[in-house]
Amino acid sequence: MNATERCLSRRGLLKLLGMASSGIAASRWLAPDATMAQQPSPEKIMEPFSGPSANPHWNSLGPYISEPQKAPLILLTDRPVQLETPRHYFRTAFTPNEAFYVRWHLDGIPNAVDLKEWKLQIEGNVNKPLALTLPDLMQKFKPVSLAAVNQCSGNSRSRLLPRVPGGQWGNGAMGNAMWTGVRLRELLDMAGVKSGSLQVQFQGLETGQGPAGLGSNLFLKSLDLKNPVLDECLVAYLMNGEPLPMLNGFPVRLVVPGYFATYWTKCLSWIRVLTAPDENFWMKTGYRMPDTPRGNTTPDDVKAGKVKTIPLERFPVRSFFITPDGSSKIPSGMNVTLRGIAFSGFGAVNRVEISDDGGKNWTAAKLGENHGAYSFRTWEAPWTAESPGHHSLAVRATDEKGNTQPDEPVWNPGGYLWNRIERQEIVVGNAS
Amino acid sequence: MKNRARAIFPVMCSLVMAAVVYAQLKKGYYAPAELGILRQAAPIDLSPDSNYQVSAYPVPAVDLAHGEGLQDVQIYCNTCHSPRYIIMQPPLPASTWEAEVNKMNKTFGAAIPDDNTQKIILYLQAHYTPDTRKQ
Repeated sequence: MNATERCLSRRGLLKLLGMASSGIAASRWLAPDATMAQQPSPEKIMEPFSGPSANPHWNSLGPYISEPQKAPLILLTDRPVQLETPRHYFRTAFTPNEAFYVRWHLDGIPNAVDLKEWKLQIEGNVNKPLALTLPDLMQKFKPVSLAAVNQCSGNSRSRLLPRVPGGQWGNGAMGNAMWTGVRLRELLDMAGVKSGSLQVQFQGLETGQGPAGLGSNLFLKSLDLKNPVLDECLVAYLMNGEPLPMLNGFPVRLVVPGYFATYWTKCLSWIRVLTAPDENFWMKTGYRMPDTPRGNTTPDDVKAGKVKTIPLERFPVRSFFITPDGSSKIPSGMNVTLRGIAFSGFGAVNRVEISDDGGKNWTAAKLGENHGAYSFRTWEAPWTAESPGHHSLAVRATDEKGNTQPDEPVWNPGGYLWNRIERQEIVVGNAS
Repeated sequence: MKNRARAIFPVMCSLVMAAVVYAQLKKGYYAPAELGILRQAAPIDLSPDSNYQVSAYPVPAVDLAHGEGLQDVQIYCNTCHSPRYIIMQPPLPASTWEAEVNKMNKTFGAAIPDDNTQKIILYLQAHYTPDTRKQ
């Protein structure tokens, strides 16, 4: 083949291709799907941090990470481990174990527990100190099951303004599980709490690099022996019918229904009856709230030393939109279902309401199955987007004690107790 | 030369037509992207003894701002927690960073020498306040 022939044959081929593509183009112009889709925008990755304004996203901003026994979760910190549950896992009343958020304080987190060695010790001011094995707990006591929400004290901390240091949680530092285990009261009764006892202290396997006696060495929490919540506490060895993931406290963790998770000691191994108030860092300094309505205060009052604090205990009433999550448009006129969850540490949620006019009018949502006063309660409500544009939906819950979510923000230096009414922005598009 | 021009013409035509077709259809767009480092963990070997074990907790590298004091952060802060604690925070005022570092020494007993404490505070203020934070 000479040079001219090659050129011709190439030209012939190209001509053919050109004609073919023109033909396809012409036929596609006539095809009905030609203008259905929109020009895509390039994928955008979540910004690495938020601030000094509030985090505008439902979840925190970290990358996903794969940790042992866990689905990919949002990474806050890796040593010690703090992981947030992505929003979509809250579609159901129970949060899967593999998606349940994780929050440790000190970097000495167990990677292994040998059940031949491990015992739950009940000691201190008791008549008969106990050292119970896991089979003891499973066989010598009647198993009790209870659905209860575990929520980090700092859940939604990234909403507070001005921003405060600490774990920059979005809304996913919470989860609900069916906990099965032994009543704490039965363990205390078996050991026999002696007179003159004031508090009961909980210690897990978590240890830190700091010097003995400081909060950087041990994580310790205590409850008053006269606190009625002790009658509701469980020492749980099952979480949603499965062993607890190591990162959530294998082999047993304390369940304190209605209380912030700071009391839910993971890898619980020592229950200690005290005759004097616990003054360790995690009681005397950490996890305290201003002794004001909602734990609200101001940076100025903190600076002026005006703020008296009390230990953080029960979490206030909250509700959330889960779907739709605002990531896609809804065609106008389409009757969609809004879904979410609600809960309160003060008793069962008995009303969830939706507003689509900025909070002027509220319509009751339908509540899902009741799994008990301390569980997530799912809710749903029909909603029709009448007109194209930007719509703002609001949800608020009320619990059986009559506590309703307020629409005012809260601020305190610890970044605790955020429970303002949640809003979901929805973009409604033209349907034709 | 003329031959070459005649050869290029249909190529140009077909490219233009293809672009027109593509723009008109507005579907099947793809963009180059980076594959993340999120990997599936392989199952670990389990034996029926009494030891319940999980694999090591992963600690990805942290991209900290470069500058004076970085080495002090990497040595001292890293003793108790990974420096990811720094980048997770929102930009904080200079006085807040100072208070945070002092808390590590006074409340948590970090015992960082004064000189290094000062370097760490200056580093955090130089890179992680509302005015200075870039990454």
